[in-house]
Amino acid sequence: MFGRLLAPSVVAHAHCDIPCGIYDPTAAKVAADTVAKMVEKIGQLQPSATDFTTRGNFVRMTLVKEEHAQICKKELEILWSDYFKPEHLEKFPKLHDTFWKAAKLCSKNKQNVDAAAAAELQAAVKEISDMFYATKK
Amino acid sequence: MAVAGHSMEPALRDGDWLFVLPPRRQPRVGEVVVLRDPRDSKRLLLKRVAAVRDGAVTVMGDRRDHSTDSRYFGDVPLADVVGRAAFRYAPLARAGRVRS
Repeated sequence: MFGRLLAPSVVAHAHCDIPCGIYDPTAAKVAADTVAKMVEKIGQLQPSATDFTTRGNFVRMTLVKEEHAQICKKELEILWSDYFKPEHLEKFPKLHDTFWKAAKLCSKNKQNVDAAAAAELQAAVKEISDMFYATKK
Repeated sequence: MAVAGHSMEPALRDGDWLFVLPPRRQPRVGEVVVLRDPRDSKRLLLKRVAAVRDGAVTVMGDRRDHSTDSRYFGDVPLADVVGRAAFRYAPLARAGRVRS
């Protein structure tokens, strides 16, 4: 019906120059994996050790865990607010709830050293990642 | 004229086809205009007028988190406003006047 005669010959851009097309859940996944790895490594430390090397490692691992929990939250929020659109919500009615819970899990992992919470975060990021890739099909 | 990009959602979507009228009068606040990109005059942009003053317009995308507009390149001279988006003719399901 809309043949070539009706097709516009001019394009007007309604773009953002920077973030367009560079959405990727991989950054959130790496951050969540880092949190889980740090929890695992902290658990392997000798709790009674008082030498500076062990203390230093503990502090370092805790810092990295907290930093990556925060990075994970930021990366998820970018996908949530900028990438996903209302039509995705129709396809994934649990989208908002999944993001909300995942963001809360980031905070929980920042506050605690909890292997179960770290695994839950990895699972939540996987769920979001699966939704993301489903929109690309 | 075809829309490319997402900065004007939900009013205008990527792939919409529009009738654009030449500017016979000064644009009004709220209208969607086609303008020459201040950074590349061969490229056309589609934005909403946020303010008009001293022979220039301030333009903004509807999706503020997803738009490069006057916040980035400043006001645009009226001479660079080449038209006003008046009517969408495709897709048919959303055909109609482009609202201010």
